[in-house]
Amino acid sequence: MRHLLAATALASFASIGSAAPPALSQAQHDAAHAMFEHVIDTPTVIGRHRTPEMAQFVADQFKAAGFPAEDIHVLPYHTESATTGGDDTAALIVRWRAAGTPKAKPIMLMGHMDVVEAKPEDWSATDPFKMVEKDGYYYGRGTTDMKDGIVAITQAMINLKAAGFKPQRDIVVLFTGDEETNGIGARNGATQWLDLLGHPEFGLNADGGGMSFNTDGGPAGATMQTAEKTYAGYTLTVRNRGGHSSKPRKDNAIYSLAHALDKIEAYRFAPTLNETTRAYFAGREKLEKGPLGDAMRKWLANPKDGEAADFIEASESEVGLTRTRCVPTRLFGGHADNALPQLATAMINCRIFPGVDPNAIKAELERVVEDPEVVVSRNDDYVASLASPLRPDVTAAYTRAVQTLHPGMPVFPEMSTGASDARPFRVAGVPVYGVNGGWTVTPIDNRAHGKDERLPVKSLYDNVVHWELMLRDLAGK
Amino acid sequence: MKPFLALLLTAAVSTSALAATDPRTVPTQLPQAWQTKTRDVFKQAIEIPTVHHRGQMHKMATLLANQFRAAGIPDADIHFMPYESLPGDQTEAVIIRWRSPNATKKPMLILGHMDVVEAKREDWKFDPFVFREEGGYFLGRGTSDMKNGDVATTMAAVKLMSEGFKPDRDIIFFYSGDEETKGQGATLASTKWRNLTDAEFGLNADGGCGAYDRQFRPIGCAVATSEKTFQTYFFTTHNPGGHSSRPRPDNAIYDLADALEKLRTHRFQPMMNETSRGYFEERARQEGNSQLGQAIRRWLANPNDGQAADAIEANPLEVGLTRTRCVATMLKAGHADNALPQSATATVNCRIFPGVQPKDVQAELQAMAGPKVEVTPDPNFSGMLSPASPLRPDVLAAVTAAIQRFHGPGMRVYPAMSTGASDGSFFRAQGIPVYDVDGSWGISPDDERAHGLDERLPVRAMYDDVLHWEMVIKALAGPGGATQASVPAQPSAPPERG
Repeated sequence: MRHLLAATALASFASIGSAAPPALSQAQHDAAHAMFEHVIDTPTVIGRHRTPEMAQFVADQFKAAGFPAEDIHVLPYHTESATTGGDDTAALIVRWRAAGTPKAKPIMLMGHMDVVEAKPEDWSATDPFKMVEKDGYYYGRGTTDMKDGIVAITQAMINLKAAGFKPQRDIVVLFTGDEETNGIGARNGATQWLDLLGHPEFGLNADGGGMSFNTDGGPAGATMQTAEKTYAGYTLTVRNRGGHSSKPRKDNAIYSLAHALDKIEAYRFAPTLNETTRAYFAGREKLEKGPLGDAMRKWLANPKDGEAADFIEASESEVGLTRTRCVPTRLFGGHADNALPQLATAMINCRIFPGVDPNAIKAELERVVEDPEVVVSRNDDYVASLASPLRPDVTAAYTRAVQTLHPGMPVFPEMSTGASDARPFRVAGVPVYGVNGGWTVTPIDNRAHGKDERLPVKSLYDNVVHWELMLRDLAGK
Repeated sequence: MKPFLALLLTAAVSTSALAATDPRTVPTQLPQAWQTKTRDVFKQAIEIPTVHHRGQMHKMATLLANQFRAAGIPDADIHFMPYESLPGDQTEAVIIRWRSPNATKKPMLILGHMDVVEAKREDWKFDPFVFREEGGYFLGRGTSDMKNGDVATTMAAVKLMSEGFKPDRDIIFFYSGDEETKGQGATLASTKWRNLTDAEFGLNADGGCGAYDRQFRPIGCAVATSEKTFQTYFFTTHNPGGHSSRPRPDNAIYDLADALEKLRTHRFQPMMNETSRGYFEERARQEGNSQLGQAIRRWLANPNDGQAADAIEANPLEVGLTRTRCVATMLKAGHADNALPQSATATVNCRIFPGVQPKDVQAELQAMAGPKVEVTPDPNFSGMLSPASPLRPDVLAAVTAAIQRFHGPGMRVYPAMSTGASDGSFFRAQGIPVYDVDGSWGISPDDERAHGLDERLPVRAMYDDVLHWEMVIKALAGPGGATQASVPAQPSAPPERG
C-alpha cells in the first residue's frame, strides 16, 4: 500500500520540478541512466575487490568526454581494520583546470564509491546488485548512498564541458573507496593527495544534504550538511581478583560495571547550540507546529532552557542533535560460568558535539562513573570534528539550485550525527558542505544501509541538473 | 584482634604452639625422593592445559595412567574412556583398578577430575600453565583445583605399591575430564560405566578439607557429605537496536544492568539442614565469643533469626553456607561498536541449597528481574538434587587420623555441605555415598583461589597430601580395615627434618 501511495505521490513531485527550466537532453538522460546502472551493478562492498573497477569505469567516462588523461588519477590503496576486514580499493581524482589564471583556489567535489554490504536473501524482491526500475524508483544498493551523487557529479561535469562551460577556478573531484568502513581515502585526501587536489578552498560533498518530501507531497526541507559529530569509542574496564562462584565476593567486576552503566544511562551531557544547529532548528521550527516546534522555539530563544533541549532530544527525529551522546554498545565479562569474573568491559560509543575534544569526554565519563574501580580508556585517537562556517556563496548557490528545481523548498543547515569523509578535511582546515541535490520521500525511502534501498527515478536526473547549476554558480564567475 | 579460641587453648595445650606456627614453614614428612617424584608429576600435570575444547585430556590421562602402569598395574586394568562433554568438546576419563589379591570387601572408589577452569595469560601475573614454585607455594592453574588431588592419590598408590602394600579390597581410581563444565564423565561413570566403577563408597580428592586462618589457627577439616545444587541461568534482554548515533530510550544493556543491580542486593531465604547444623555447631566452638561465633550461636538457637544468618553469610569464611546464592559470572552484549545492542546476556551461576528445586529459584530470579528480562536455565547442565551421604565412622576415623597426624588434634574433622559442585553429586544421586577427604589445605581466605587468579597451593600441602592419602588408603583398604584405622596411624616413613 505504501508503495502505491509513493508512486501516486511521485507524479505530483515531478510536477514541482517540471516548472523549472533546465532539463537534460535525451542523450544526456540515457548516458546518466547507463552509467547509474553500471555502477549499481558493480558490488563495491569491502572485501569484494570491485571498487578499483568502478573507479576505472568512472575515469573512462571523464576521458571519453574529453577531460585530459593527465588530470585523471585512479589511486589504488589498501583499507583495513580488525572490525571491517580489508580490501584493495581505489580513489579517483579528476581535475578540471580553470581557463586561464584561476580566480580562486579549487572547489573540491566529493563522494564515495563504496557501499554497505547487502544480501539478496534479505531483500524483498530484487537483487541489490542488479539495478531494477519499477514503480517510479530505481532499486539497488547505493541508489541513495551514494552512487546517485557520483553519477550526478560526473554527468554534470560532462554536460558542462560539452556545453562549452569554462570554469574560472579549478574543479577537482575526489571519489573515495572506503567511506563506509575505514575512511582511509579521505584521510589520504586531506594529507598526501592534497597537492593533487590543488589545496581546495572548500569541498562540496554529495554524501550529505539533499531534500525530502512528505508522503502527502509537501516539502519536508532541504538540508546542507555543515557539521558532523565526532565519533569516538571508549572502554569501561573493571578488574577483580575473581574466585570460585560458589563463594561470591562482596565486590564483583560485573556488578561494578552494571552500576557504572546505570549512571551513564541516567546522565545527560549539557545541551549545546552552534551556528549550524541554530540555523537547523530555526528552519525546523517553521515546519513543526506542535509541542516539538514549541520546544525548538523556546530553546532558540533561551539556549539555557535545558528542559526544552531535553524535550527536543527525546523526539525520535531529533535524537543526537542537541548534545553529545554516549551509549553502551557491547559488553564482555567473565571467563567461565562457575568463576567470579576477573574482568568485565563495556564499549561506549560516543557522538561528540563538534569542537569538543574526545579527551574531555573521557574525563567527563570518569566523573559520571565516579568509581576508581572502573577504568575509562579511549579506543581510538580521533580528534574533534569541526563545524564548517556557513559560507554565504555556498549557501546561496545551494539554495538557488534547490529552489530552481523545487520552488518553495525550505533550506537549512544540518549537523550530521554520523561520520563521513568530510571530517579529515574539516580538521585539516578545508570546510566541507554536504549539498547533494537528490530527493526522497520521507520516511518511506529512508533505506540507506538497509534493505530495498531505492531512489525516485526523477531524482537522479534532477540531481545532474542540480550539480550543473551549482557549478555554474560557484565556478563560473 | 579476635580472641583466641578458648576451646583449643584449654583442651589442647600442645596445640597452641603448633597453631601459632606458620603451617607453611613446617617441614613436610614426605621423604625427599618422593618429593622429587611428586613434584615432577605435578609439574607435568599443571603444564597440560586441560581446559575444555583444548583437546589435552588424553595427555593428562596418560600421565596419570603411566604412573600406575610403571608401578605394576596391568594395561587390562587401565581404561581410557573418551566421551563428548559440551558440544564439540571431545574429552576423556581414565579408570584404573588396583586389584586386591584376596578381596574381603566391596571395592572403594577414589575420584577426581583432570580438567581445569579457563585461565588467561593476560589476567594472571604469570603464565597459568607454567608451573612455578615461589615463597613456599606451587603456583599455576589447577594447583588447588585439583591436579594436586590427582597427583596425591596417584603418588600415594604408587608409593604403597612400591612398598608392597596389598589392599584387601579393589581400589578404583576414576579421573574425569569435564567436572568443571558438564559433569558428563561422572554421569557416565555412575551409570553406563558402572561395571568399572561400582563401589561401596567413594572418596573424592576434589578440594582439600583443611584450612588455617590468617593467625595460623586451624579452622578444621570439613568433610563434605552433601553439596549444593549447581545451576546456571541466563538473563537475556532484547531490543530492536539501531544506529548508535541515535540512541533509543530503551537499551538492552541498560535493561540488563538494571537487573544486575537488583541481583547484587538480592538475598535468598536463610536455611539450615542437619549437615549445616553440625557444621555450625563446630564453628561456634572454634569461634568462641567472636562476633561470628555469637551470630552462629544466635542462629543455631533460632533458625528464624534472619539477621544472624545474614551476619554469618557476610563473613568471607562462611559465604554460601546459609542459603542459596546466585552471582553474575559472565556478560555478553552487542554485535558492533557502532550499533545499538539487539541483545544482552548475563550468565548467573547459582548454588542452590539442598532440597530446593531449581525451577523455584528460576521463578524467584524472574520475579526479581522483572518482565524486561528473560530468565532461562542453562540447557547444557541441569542441576541434580543429591542426597547427603550418611557419615561412615570408618571414613571419618581414617580421615581424622590422617589429618591430625600432620596438623595435630586442633584440626578437627567435621561434616560439611560443599558450596561447590563436584562429580560426587552424580555418584550420590546414583546410590554411591561420596566423601570429600583430600588432605591438602591453605590459609583461608588468602589461598582460596580456585577458578580465580594466581591459583596456588602451599608446597607442604602437596607433599603431605601424598602421605595423607597413603594413610587413608591403608586404613580403609588395609588388613583390619576400619578398626585398625580408628587408632591414629603411623606415617609410613619417619618425618624428615631439615
